[in-house]
Amino acid sequence: MATLTVTQNFGKGAQDIGVYKSLGGYSSLSSRLFDLSQFELIDLVMRSGLRGRGGAGFPTGMKWSFVPRNSGKPVYLVVNADEGEPGTFKDHRLMLEDPHRLIEGMIICGWALGVRTAYIYVRGEFLPAIEALNAAVKQAYEAGLLGKNIAGTSFCMDIYVHRGAGAYICGEETALINSLEGFKGQPRLKPPFPAVSGAFASPTCVNNVETLMALPWILENGPEAYAKMGTPKSPGTKVFSVSGDVKRPGVYEAPLGTPLMEILEGKDYCQGVVGTLKGVIPGGSSSPALTAEEAKQANLDYEALAGLKTMLGSGAVVAFNTTRSVVGMLASLTRFYAHESCGQCTPCREGTGYADRILKTVVSGHGRDGDLEQILDLAANFTSSTICPLGAADSAPIINFIGKFRSEFDAVVAKNPDRGEPRLSKNFRPGAFWE
Amino acid sequence: MSNSYSKPILPKPDTKRVVINVDGADVEVPDGTNLIEALKTIGIDTPHFCYHQDLPVAGNCRQCMIETDGPRGMGLAIACYTPVRAGMKVATDRSSEKVKIARKSVMEFLLANHPLDCPICDKAGECTLQDNYMAAGKHESRMRDDIGKQYKGSPEFRHEDSKGQERGGKHIDIGPRVVLDQERCILCDRCTRFMRDVAGSEQLYIAARGDHAFIGTFPGQPLDHEYDLNVTDICPVGALTGKHFRFQQRVWMLSKTETVAPDDSLGANITVEHHDDQAWRIMPRRNPDVNASWISNATRLQYRRLSEDRLASGSFRGTEVRLADAIERAGGLVQSARKVALVASGHLTIEDNAAILAMAGAFGSRVEVFGGSWLSVGAPDGIARSGDPVANRMGCKLLGVPDNLDDLVRRAGEFDVLVVVGHDLWAADSAKAAALEKIPERIVLASWHDATVAKSTLAVGVRAWAEVRGTMVNCQGRIQRLNAAPVAPSPDLEPVWQVISKMGRLDWSSELDAFRFAQSRIPALAGLNYRTIGSMGRILEGVAP
Repeated sequence: MATLTVTQNFGKGAQDIGVYKSLGGYSSLSSRLFDLSQFELIDLVMRSGLRGRGGAGFPTGMKWSFVPRNSGKPVYLVVNADEGEPGTFKDHRLMLEDPHRLIEGMIICGWALGVRTAYIYVRGEFLPAIEALNAAVKQAYEAGLLGKNIAGTSFCMDIYVHRGAGAYICGEETALINSLEGFKGQPRLKPPFPAVSGAFASPTCVNNVETLMALPWILENGPEAYAKMGTPKSPGTKVFSVSGDVKRPGVYEAPLGTPLMEILEGKDYCQGVVGTLKGVIPGGSSSPALTAEEAKQANLDYEALAGLKTMLGSGAVVAFNTTRSVVGMLASLTRFYAHESCGQCTPCREGTGYADRILKTVVSGHGRDGDLEQILDLAANFTSSTICPLGAADSAPIINFIGKFRSEFDAVVAKNPDRGEPRLSKNFRPGAFWE
Repeated sequence: MSNSYSKPILPKPDTKRVVINVDGADVEVPDGTNLIEALKTIGIDTPHFCYHQDLPVAGNCRQCMIETDGPRGMGLAIACYTPVRAGMKVATDRSSEKVKIARKSVMEFLLANHPLDCPICDKAGECTLQDNYMAAGKHESRMRDDIGKQYKGSPEFRHEDSKGQERGGKHIDIGPRVVLDQERCILCDRCTRFMRDVAGSEQLYIAARGDHAFIGTFPGQPLDHEYDLNVTDICPVGALTGKHFRFQQRVWMLSKTETVAPDDSLGANITVEHHDDQAWRIMPRRNPDVNASWISNATRLQYRRLSEDRLASGSFRGTEVRLADAIERAGGLVQSARKVALVASGHLTIEDNAAILAMAGAFGSRVEVFGGSWLSVGAPDGIARSGDPVANRMGCKLLGVPDNLDDLVRRAGEFDVLVVVGHDLWAADSAKAAALEKIPERIVLASWHDATVAKSTLAVGVRAWAEVRGTMVNCQGRIQRLNAAPVAPSPDLEPVWQVISKMGRLDWSSELDAFRFAQSRIPALAGLNYRTIGSMGRILEGVAP
């Protein structure tokens, strides 16, 4: 069993501060943290090689170093707990099982950046997690770990748990900030990036739940111990949400670089695939899927998956077997993205819905020759011209699924006897306008 | 939206110029400005919908795509939000296939869910969607009936048309002046930004998300604001139209005359649009130093008065007379009078007032000039009105027209002829004006059948503000030019200066003679002419209050 850095308290009742402390929790606060200057702490996080676990994998220490000091404005820490990517459920579990570790991570980050006020933006549907967080925050205040003069230092920090209202796009950091401020959850134009001007036009650090929860272990065991795990470019461990056709789906922590098949078949993990594996989505619904052959070569780290033209994303592994219709899977994904498009910029707003409607006609047996080409063309056109990556998140599975499983799509279109009919409107009558 | 939200940086005459590379050629453009503006300075127009010079940048239409060099090489970016920096590389649709495809695809996406009802759409002819389709789209439609369009509309207005297609909201009455067509909306966000950031009253909003999003007013609340008609100007499609102009004229029939608002001393720059000798609407004309791109509803609806209740001939003791006869009779009365009170007006141009002063000068002490106004002065609204209804108050002051109407009331008994020009004294303050009825002969030069005309013994019709060329000085000390639109109700009507010149035998042949006279009275006008005043006006030296 590999070393666990984030999920070691699962199932131990660590929701209670007493249990958490008895398991070694909050020890970084009494031992090392407040002896480290802010620069030393950021340097320590940089040396650990920790990368953002929300999806993009941006080095955490570097992100922190972008936050300006002495700008005359407060620095905000916002925890992105708006986990909405289909297939991802690790943050929910993490907050549910070990909310104090998140609070400890936030205090560490807060000390590094001089944060006075921190927000946890939780997805609205995660009611149990919200309750666990609220209870944990209350306990932490009572224990003097939050509020004024934490651990006898001049450091003061407050944490607010903010419940989202149910929009996938609010996982995008600027949309999240807009939502937090009370505006409609729509991404902002960048620059300025949140590190310079985020929440309430002040420097803001937005970190994923898992990223912050890795910090207590790093502080306790040293950055070198963390960097030793995983691969040189993707150090540490990662929490994977595994679902789909596997024997034991769930949340698993493994060092980065672990082979994908190890996660699916290893005895510590999912213990095998149900049926014959057809493909795997390795990093949440917006990451391109791997075929069964590709999955056998895949290692779960940022670089190896990039080499297979997909991405680690949030670590949501979805395995599907040969009984699953890829056409149906893609149709439900495009429906999801069309429904979750925020409606701000044109290509994503109109394009995701347009592609979804065409795919719907294909699925319902009314596909025509050329429909798939049109979907691919539309998808390519809403990839790179949008404000935020939601367009790209929709086009990636479209281009990938149709590209890799083309024969299945063609077979569905082939069922339509009228597939070769010209694309004229059935109401079209020449000259009808003048009648 | 606290920070995604900044006004565009526009080029100014003193902006530093830097060299950038556009489509392979080095060009000089103003530094730091938004690229869309910089490209304009070198003659490249970039198609766009959401960008507007006087609104914060939203960057949501994605039509103005260009390629520029970033940390990861050349990549797509929006020209409206990319600042110019020295040495940057830019590729427009002239050199980049990627840009061409991006722009074309945005057109396809917008049109995919847009109703093609151009034949019955009032915006046709001045529709940005039409223009940009010709500039950047020109694609074949790939839409089919069984795919269907996602028409925009709020739930209460969704309906099914005769073909069984679900439709959105059509011609929704959202307020006293504006009609909303949700289906046509392309969600560029201009109207909501205008209401929030310019009007300061957030009455429009975008509800829902994705391609279901739609523009609406808040439940039970109308769109009702003194500047609400501006949203119909900035709407790039026919989603917001004004009730005053809907279905009145096809816009390509209209000719345009640039002039200045007559109802406020800020002198908002406007265009009178006319066809067949009639004014059909007034549109704002952009002047960043005066009214930006906005005009108030009151200014906008001034065009209606141009054809309403006009005094198109003369009237002598209640009976209609020919204009020429009326003018001759007026001249005779003034010539033979013992003492004449001549009331100049800040509602008229400098030229008209110059004629009044010149006539008074010609008659010597027999004629005394009065001026001023009894209309109440309000406060500036910070958008396009100063609150002072006397448009040329500053010009009158510069000419030396006194502000002494109340003196006239007190001394009414001294005069046997009163000449009121371009004023409705009885409407402004009938109690004070009643004293003027002591004067036996009351000559009124007016454009409308107003209360003062009703009290006159001799009325002479004159051209109104939209029908004359001339100048006014606004409250900033800016001289601005009015131009004559061919909308006078009768070809016999003459401008005030011409009528006065006939009455006073001044022998002036055009407004230029009047302007020369004004130049002799106002040193700040030295060296100016109508051409150098220009369409945006000029600040007069040493005049600013």
